[in-house]
Amino acid sequence: MQQQGGERKEGKPEPPAVMGDGSQGTDRGWAWAAVLHFFLVNVFVMGMLKTFGIFFVAFQEDVGGSSEQVSWIGSIMSSLRFLGAPLVAVVCRRIGERPTSILGAGLVSGGCLLSTQATSVPFLCVSMGLLLGMGFCCLYQAAAVMTAKRCRTRLAFSNAIARSGMGLTFLTAPFTQLLIDTYGWQGTLLIFSGIMLNLVPSSMLLRPVRTQLPPCPKASHEDRSSAPKGEAGALAGHLEEATNGAAQPRSAQDLPSTEAPAEPCSTAAVTTAAPGKAPTASSCPETINEVVKSCRSLPVLKEEKSQPLIDFSPLKDPLFFIFTWSFLFSHLAYFVPIFHLVARARTLGISSMDASYFISVAGITETSSQLLSGWIADQNWTKKYHYHAAYLVLCGVTNLLCPLATTFPLLMTYAVTFAIFCGGFLALVLPVLVDLVGVQKLHSYLGFASFFAGIAAVGGPPLAGWLYDSTQTYACSFLFAGACALLSPVSFFLEPLAQRWKLQKVHVPMQSEAILQGSTGRTGFGCSQTSTSADLQCQSKNC
Amino acid sequence: MLRWLSFVVPGESDVHVEKNIFLGSAVKIELSCRLADKHSHMKILQVTWKKGNETIKHINKTEISWGIQLTVSENRKLGSYTCTVTGEKEFSVVFHLQVPQIAGREKPVVSYKGDSAILICESRSYTPIAWTWYMTNGSEQIAINDSLMLDKYVIDKADANVTHLKILKLTEEDGGTYWCEAAFELGKSKGKLKLKILSLMVPLKPFLAIVAEVVILITLIFVFELYSKKKEKRAEDEKEFDQIEQLKSEESNGVESNSARHRKV
Repeated sequence: MQQQGGERKEGKPEPPAVMGDGSQGTDRGWAWAAVLHFFLVNVFVMGMLKTFGIFFVAFQEDVGGSSEQVSWIGSIMSSLRFLGAPLVAVVCRRIGERPTSILGAGLVSGGCLLSTQATSVPFLCVSMGLLLGMGFCCLYQAAAVMTAKRCRTRLAFSNAIARSGMGLTFLTAPFTQLLIDTYGWQGTLLIFSGIMLNLVPSSMLLRPVRTQLPPCPKASHEDRSSAPKGEAGALAGHLEEATNGAAQPRSAQDLPSTEAPAEPCSTAAVTTAAPGKAPTASSCPETINEVVKSCRSLPVLKEEKSQPLIDFSPLKDPLFFIFTWSFLFSHLAYFVPIFHLVARARTLGISSMDASYFISVAGITETSSQLLSGWIADQNWTKKYHYHAAYLVLCGVTNLLCPLATTFPLLMTYAVTFAIFCGGFLALVLPVLVDLVGVQKLHSYLGFASFFAGIAAVGGPPLAGWLYDSTQTYACSFLFAGACALLSPVSFFLEPLAQRWKLQKVHVPMQSEAILQGSTGRTGFGCSQTSTSADLQCQSKNC
Repeated sequence: MLRWLSFVVPGESDVHVEKNIFLGSAVKIELSCRLADKHSHMKILQVTWKKGNETIKHINKTEISWGIQLTVSENRKLGSYTCTVTGEKEFSVVFHLQVPQIAGREKPVVSYKGDSAILICESRSYTPIAWTWYMTNGSEQIAINDSLMLDKYVIDKADANVTHLKILKLTEEDGGTYWCEAAFELGKSKGKLKLKILSLMVPLKPFLAIVAEVVILITLIFVFELYSKKKEKRAEDEKEFDQIEQLKSEESNGVESNSARHRKV
C-alpha cells in the first residue's frame, strides 16, 4: 500500500509536467479550435434560420401550400433546435461530442440535399424541418459542451466570441437572395448543403479532452471500497476525494466550483490561474481536471454503463430549476421585443427604412456588448451569475421604460440600451450553467434546459402576437418582456440556499463514509483540512 | 354595370400633373380639375378639356373647378384626358384611363431541365374575365391552348384572380419570355414573365467544388491527427520508461518519507 502510494506520488506530478511543457500549447490550440467550430456553427445555424423567410416565398410559389402550412417548416426547424436537446444530450454522452457533431453536420447536409427533390409541403416539413432541426441541435449541443470543457478560465469570453457569429448573419440574407436569383431554390439548397458540409472538418477539430495518461491504469484500483485511494498523489487525490465525497455516492462526478468541500481545491486552481494570466495559468485548471478525469476515467466508465439511458437527475436538482427559470424568462424577454420593435416604430410613424436601422444598430451593439461582458466576467471579480442577474434587471427596467419612447432618437436609445444589456446576459448563459453544475453533467443539464427554453421560444411569438391582438398596442409586449426580464433573475437569489441544501444532502453520506474508513487513513475530509498543502502543491507543480 | 367615379385633382402652375385611373369594368366617371388655393383668385381666360385633339364639352362645377362626365363602356373611350386652364399662367392635368396593369416578374423564374415550373400571374384588385397565356417563339407570340399540348402545359383556373401555368418536362427550348394576358371588360392587359432553364450541372459545379474543399480539409485534419498521435505515443513511451527508472530508484529510499507525509495529513 505504501509502495503504491510512493509510486503514485511520483507518478501524479508527471502528467501535469508533460502537459506543462509539450502539449499544453496544443491544448490551448484545441480550445481555440473548439471556439472556431462553435463560431462557425453559430454563423451557419443562425444564418439558415434567418434566411428561411426568403425560402418561404419560393416554397409558396413553387411547391404550393398556404402560408400557414409553409411556415410550419420554419417553426419545426427552429423549435427542434431546442426541443431535441435532451435526446441529443443522451447521444452525446454515449458516443462523444465529435461523432455527434459530425452526425449533426451530416444531417443538415443531407436534409438540404433531400429538400432539393421536394414536391410537397409535408415532404419539406420532414426533410427540411425535422432533419435540419435535429442536425442543428446536435451541432449546437456538441459545440457548446466542448467549448465549456475546453475553455475553463476564459469560458465567458470564448462563448461571447463564438456567439458573435450570429452577428454575421446579416450577410447571409443578400447572399441567399443572390443564389436564389441565379440558381433557383433547388440550386441554392444544393449549394447550402455543400456549405454545411464544411462543418464536418470543423467538427473534427473537437478533439475529445484527453483521458489517456500513463499512471492511470494503476489508478483503476481506486474504487470506493478499496483503501489505496487515499494514497493517490496528493493533489489529484485531494481533488478526487473532494469531488467523490461531495457528489452523490455512485454517479458520474462533476466538479462544481461552488461546493464547499471542493472549494479550497478549486479556488486554489482558480487563484493560481487568475492572476498573472501566464500561458501556463490557463491550462492549469484544465490540466488538473484532466488529471482528475484521466485517473477517474476507468471507474467513471464502469459507472457510466450502469447509468440509465436518459439521465433525469437534473430534474431533481434545485440548481437546475433555478437556471431553467431564469433561462426561460430571459428567452421570452429577448425574443418578444425583437419581433415587435419594427412594428412599433411603424405605428409611431417612423418609416420602415429608418426602422431597419434599429435592427442593424442593435445587432452590432449586441455583438460588441457580448464580447465586453464575456471579458469582464472572465476577470472573476465576482461570481458570474451576479453579472447575469444585473444585466437581466437592467434589461427589464429598459423594457419597462420603452413605452415612453415615442420618437426616433428615443427609440434608438432604447434599442442600443436593450442590445447592450441583452448582449451582456446572453454571453453569460453558458458560463453560468457551467458554474452552477460543472462540466461533467453539462450535457444532461443543457439538454433539459434547452428543452424548456424551446417551449418558451415556440410559445413566445404567438404569445406576443396574442398580446398585441388583445391590447391593440405594441407597448404591452414591451411591458411583458420587461416583466419577464425582471422575473428571471429572481431565482438566483435562491442559489446560495440551494447550494446549502445540496451540500447537506451529500454531507451526511460523506460523514458516515469518513467514520467508517477513518481508521485506514483516508483523506476523505482531507481537502478542506489541508487546503494549504493543496495550494502549495498546485502552485509548485503546475503553475 | 355602371358606377359613378369622381376624381378631383388640384392643378398647380407650371407643374404637369398626371393621374392613372384603372378601370376593371365599364363605369360612368366624372373627372374634374380644380385650381389650387393659392391661385384661386387668378383670372381665368380659358378652360379646355381634350382627349388627344378632340375637345370635350365641360361643365363648370364651381368658380374654380371644371369637370367632364364620361360613360366608359368600350375600349375606345379609354385614353388620356387633359384639362388645361389658361390664365396668367397655364397649368394642365392629365388623366390616364386604362385597363388594370398586370404585374409580371422582373426576375426570371429559374428551373431545371426535366423538372416542372410554375408561372403565376395575378390581378387581385380587379377580376378579369379570362386569362390567356402566350409563349414567345422567335418574334411571334403563340397562344398556349390547353388542348394543344395537354401533357406539357397545365393551366390552373381555380381562382379567377390568379392564373397558374405549369410547364412539365422542361427542356432548353422552353426558356424565354412568357406573357399572361388578362381580358377585362374594357380591354386586355399583358404581364411579362421570364423563364430560365438551367441544366443540373450549373449548380452542381460549385457544389462539387465545395465538397472537394471539404474532403481536402478532412484529409488534412486526419493526417495531422495520425501524426500527432504517433508523436504522443512516442513521447509517452519515453516518459514511462523514465518513470519506471525513477520509481525503481525511489523505492529503495523514499518510501518512509512519503508515508509519513500522508499520515500527517
